[in-house]
Amino acid sequence: MRIYISGLYSGTNPQPGIGITRSLRQAYPDATLVGVEYSNRSSGIHWTDLDELWLQRPWEELNLDAYADEVREVLESGAFWISGFDLEIMWLASLYPEGHRNMLTPPAAALRKISKPAVEAHKGLPVRIPSFISTENSDWDIHTFCRQHDWKVWLKGPYYEAVRTASWDAFEIVRTTLSRAWSTEKLFLQTHVSGYEESVCFCAYKGELIEAVYMRKRELTEEGKTWAGDVTEVSEEFLKPLRRVIKELNWSGGAELEMVRDPQEQLWLLECNPRFPAWIHGSTIAGRNLPALLIERASGVPAKRTEAVSEEFTRVVLEVPVRSQFPLPPLPEPLPGGIGHSLKHPSGSLALAERLTKLNIIETNGNGNGNGNGHKAGRDKGAPEVPASFIEDLKAYRLEEMETPAWLFLESTAQSLFKRAGDLAKRLSTPEIKVTNGYSIKTNPDERLIRLAHENGFMAEAISLLEVQKALKVGFKPEQVILNGPGKWWPEGLLPKERLHAVFCDSIADLRRTASSMERRELKSKIVGIRLRTPNVYSRFGIPVDSPKSLEKLIDTIELLPTDTAFGIHFHMASSNIGVSQWWHLFESMLRWCRSVEALSGRPVEYLDLGGGWFPDDWHTERDDRFASAVHRVPEVLRNVKQIISEPGKAIAQPSMALAFRLLEFDETEEEVKEAVVDGSIAELPMHFFQPHRILHRDARTGEWRPLKRGKTQLLGRLCMEHDIVARGVELPEGAQVGDVLVFCDAGAYDRSMSYVFGRG
Amino acid sequence: MSLAEDRVRIEVDETDLIDINAAIEKWQHFPYSTLTHHGKRCCTIAREWVFSMDYSQLNGGSPLTGPRWLRHKFKWGPSNWPLRWCEAVERKELDCGAHASLAHEVFTARGVKSFPAQFIQQFSEDATRQWCEKWGCEGVSTHWVKEDLIYHEGCAVIARGNEIKVWDPSAGWWVNPKQFGGYGGLLAIRIFTGYDRQAPEQLTWGRHKVTPNQWHKVERARGDFALAAAAASGK
Repeated sequence: MRIYISGLYSGTNPQPGIGITRSLRQAYPDATLVGVEYSNRSSGIHWTDLDELWLQRPWEELNLDAYADEVREVLESGAFWISGFDLEIMWLASLYPEGHRNMLTPPAAALRKISKPAVEAHKGLPVRIPSFISTENSDWDIHTFCRQHDWKVWLKGPYYEAVRTASWDAFEIVRTTLSRAWSTEKLFLQTHVSGYEESVCFCAYKGELIEAVYMRKRELTEEGKTWAGDVTEVSEEFLKPLRRVIKELNWSGGAELEMVRDPQEQLWLLECNPRFPAWIHGSTIAGRNLPALLIERASGVPAKRTEAVSEEFTRVVLEVPVRSQFPLPPLPEPLPGGIGHSLKHPSGSLALAERLTKLNIIETNGNGNGNGNGHKAGRDKGAPEVPASFIEDLKAYRLEEMETPAWLFLESTAQSLFKRAGDLAKRLSTPEIKVTNGYSIKTNPDERLIRLAHENGFMAEAISLLEVQKALKVGFKPEQVILNGPGKWWPEGLLPKERLHAVFCDSIADLRRTASSMERRELKSKIVGIRLRTPNVYSRFGIPVDSPKSLEKLIDTIELLPTDTAFGIHFHMASSNIGVSQWWHLFESMLRWCRSVEALSGRPVEYLDLGGGWFPDDWHTERDDRFASAVHRVPEVLRNVKQIISEPGKAIAQPSMALAFRLLEFDETEEEVKEAVVDGSIAELPMHFFQPHRILHRDARTGEWRPLKRGKTQLLGRLCMEHDIVARGVELPEGAQVGDVLVFCDAGAYDRSMSYVFGRG
Repeated sequence: MSLAEDRVRIEVDETDLIDINAAIEKWQHFPYSTLTHHGKRCCTIAREWVFSMDYSQLNGGSPLTGPRWLRHKFKWGPSNWPLRWCEAVERKELDCGAHASLAHEVFTARGVKSFPAQFIQQFSEDATRQWCEKWGCEGVSTHWVKEDLIYHEGCAVIARGNEIKVWDPSAGWWVNPKQFGGYGGLLAIRIFTGYDRQAPEQLTWGRHKVTPNQWHKVERARGDFALAAAAASGK
C-alpha cells in the first residue's frame, strides 16, 4: 500500500504531515509512505519514517496542469493521498470536485461550507461563531466594529494568519501588510474570545464519521499553537450533530474544529480545518490513531492495533539527520539592511493562494459582517452612511470659490446635536437625580459651539483658567463652570472670585492645595471632588487607588475638605479608545470605587461627573439605552447622588465641522489611480491616525454628494512628511478631476482643536 | 526512526509508594486559613480595596473567572500566622492559605458560592527540601510538608447545581479534575461547606463525587479513554 502524505513543514507553526506519517507507520509498518513537499527547505522531508519523497518545485513555479495529471495518475494507481495543507486541499478539490475514493480530502462543496469566518456548516453544533466584519466594508463601519468590540479584535488573513489590532493605526498597518501578502482586500476582523483553546479532531470517509477525539491545549507556543495537550472523548452532545454535519458535507479525510471555551462554558468556533491537525500524533499516543482508521476504512486493510500510552502529550525539539539526497540549500543572503532571514512559507503558499484566487478556485466566506449564527449584523457596504444634515449644511458653502483647506461649520448638524443632548438630559433626569451635560471646551473651543452648549443648558467644563475666561466671555456664569485637569490653575490670576459649580482635583497635592484655598476663602465652589484614576486601564490622570496605601492616603486627604461643601467624583476615559462595552464595565467598576471612597471617608458622594470621549455613533443612541440604565443604576450603589454630569463633547463636536481639501494632482491617464495629492494634510487632520473620516465628493454633473468607497487610492497630504497620508484605500469617484473639492467629515473635535500650522511659510 | 517503534506501555503506578492515609492523618485537624480583621480602619480599608480592585480586574468578565491578579500581586512564599487583612495586602509574598482566603473572599463578594478547600499534593523530595529551606530561612513552620507530600489550600466554587470548579490561587489555575498522579498530582481534597445549610450534600467535581467536610482521596484517571478507544475500535 502506498500512501502519499503532504504538509511536511515542521517549523514553529508546523503542518501535520509528520504526525500523520508517524501514526501511519505505527499502524502500517509495511506500507510505503511517500512524503510530498514543495520545498527542500521544509525540514519534515528528512523524517525517516518516510520511505520515499516526492519533492515538487515550489507552488510559485509549479506547472499546475502537468502536476494535476501526475496526481491523477497516483490516485488511479491505487495509492492514497492525505493532504496536510489547506490550499493544496482546495486545489485537489478543483481536480475532483466530488472527491476521489483514494483522495482522503473533502469535496469542493464541503470546503465552501467550512470557509471562515462564517463556517456555514457549524449550524447544529453546540458552538457559536465570534462576530466578524469583512475589510471590504468602509473604514467607518470597521472602526465602529472595533469600538463595539472594545478593540479586542483580530485581523485575519483569508486562509492563515491572525494579528491582534488594538488601535486604528495598528489595524491600518496590518491591513496593508496582510493585503499585500495574500494579494487580496478580502480580509476580516473577528472578535477575540477569552478562554481555553480546545479542538475536536475527526476523520470520516464518504460522509461517515469514523472516529473523533477532543483535545485541550495545555501548553501553547508564542503563536498560540499547540505544544502540549490532553486527548479525551468527544461528548455525545457534540458527536450527534457532528455526524449529521459530516453526512451533509459528504466529508472524507481528517478535520479539526478549533474552538475556545469561555468561562461560561460556551464554545466558540474559530475555524474548521479540512485536514488533520499538527498534533494528530498526540491522539495516537492516547490510543486513537485517526490517520490509520481513515486508511483502514478507505483501503479495507486492517491497521495494526494502536496501544494507548498516555492521554496527555507534549512536544520536544529533535535534531534529525539530513537525507543525503536532499542536502540543505544555502541560506539566502539577508536583504541589504534587512534584519534576519525571512523564510516564511518556503513552499510558496502565498503564491499558491494568489494563483488559486486568480483561477477562482478559492473564495472566503464572510463578506459583510455578522456572527454566523443566522444574525446578519448589517449589509455589505463599501461606502459609509453619511447623515443627511451634513449634505444640507454643505449646501450653504460655495466650495468652488473657497480657498482650501478650509474648515466648514455644519450649523444645523451642530444645533440638532446640542439640542438632542439637552433633551436627553431633561428626559433622563429624575426627581432625585438631575442629569446635566458638560461641554468640554478643549474638544473644540469654537465660540459657536460653546454658545450652543450654553443655549442648551450645558455646563462649561474647563481645564485651564483661560478656558474658564472663554466660557465666561461667551455667556456662562461662574456657577455654570466645572474646573478639571492637572493644570487647571494655570495661568495665575484668572480665577473668578465668584463661586464655581465644581472643582475636581487630579492629584493628592491638588486636593491639599484646593482644601487649603477653600479654607482661606480664595476658592469658592459648590462642589469639590476628586478625579479617580482608572485601575486596570492605563491613565496618567486622576488620583490612583492601585494600592491599599494610596487608597488610605486618598481617604485621609478627603478629610481635609471643608464639610460645608458638597463632594463629587469624576472619572474620564475615552470610550472611542477603549471600546463601548469596556467603558461601561469601567463605569460599573468606578461606581464600586466611589462606594468604597464614600464608605471609608464618610463623605457622601453627591455629584458624579462622567467623561466619555464618545464617538458620535456610540453616544447614547436610541438603540443603546445604557445611559438611561446607568442613571437608574447609580442610586443603587451611591444613594446620595443628586447630579450626574455627562460630557458628550467629542460626540457633539466631531460631526459639527468638516474640512474641505482640494485635489491637487493625480495621474488621470492611469486606469486605477494609486495616489492623489490634496492641499490638506495631517496638520489639519491630526486625528487621522486614530479614526477614519468619511470623505464626500460632489459629482460635477449631478451636484450630488457621495461618500468615497473603499478602493486602491491613497490621498497624499501636501506636506513633505512621509506619514502625511490622509486616507488609504479609497476610490476616487469616476469623473473626479484635479481641482475638485473633497470634504473630510467628522473633523470637528480634536482635529480642529489640535490642528497646527505647518508648511505655510 | 519512529518513536512508536519497540515501544512498551508505560505504566508507572506509584499508588503503593504513597502513604496517603498517613498524610490525611497528619493534616486531619488542620483548619483552613482565614485572614483576621483588626476591627479597625486599617483592615476595613484593606478589605474594601481588595474587593474594589477585584471588580476592576474582573473587567466585566464572568464572576467565575479565577482571580489571577491576586497571584500577580502577591507572589507565593512564607507567611506568618495569624495574618490580618491590613498586613496581608502589604506583603509581597503570601502563602497558599492567605491566597486561598483572599480568593474565597473575592469569589464570595462577586456573588459566587465559594468554599474553602484543602489539598494534599505530591511533588518530590527535592522540591519539598527547597521549600523547607525557604520557609526555614523566614522562620516559618514547615508543618505543611511531609516528605514529598504537601498540604495546600484553594477554594471550590459552585459552577452550576452541585457541580464545582476548584481554584488553586497560588498557581493561578483551575485544578484538573482528571488527575494522573505524579509530580504536582492532587491526591486528596477536602472542601469545607461548614454550617452552610444551602450547600449541597455532595459536590460533583468532574467524575468525582466529593462529600464536604472530609478528606476525599482523588482517584487517579488511568487509561479510561484509551480503553474506551480500544473497545470502540473493537480491538
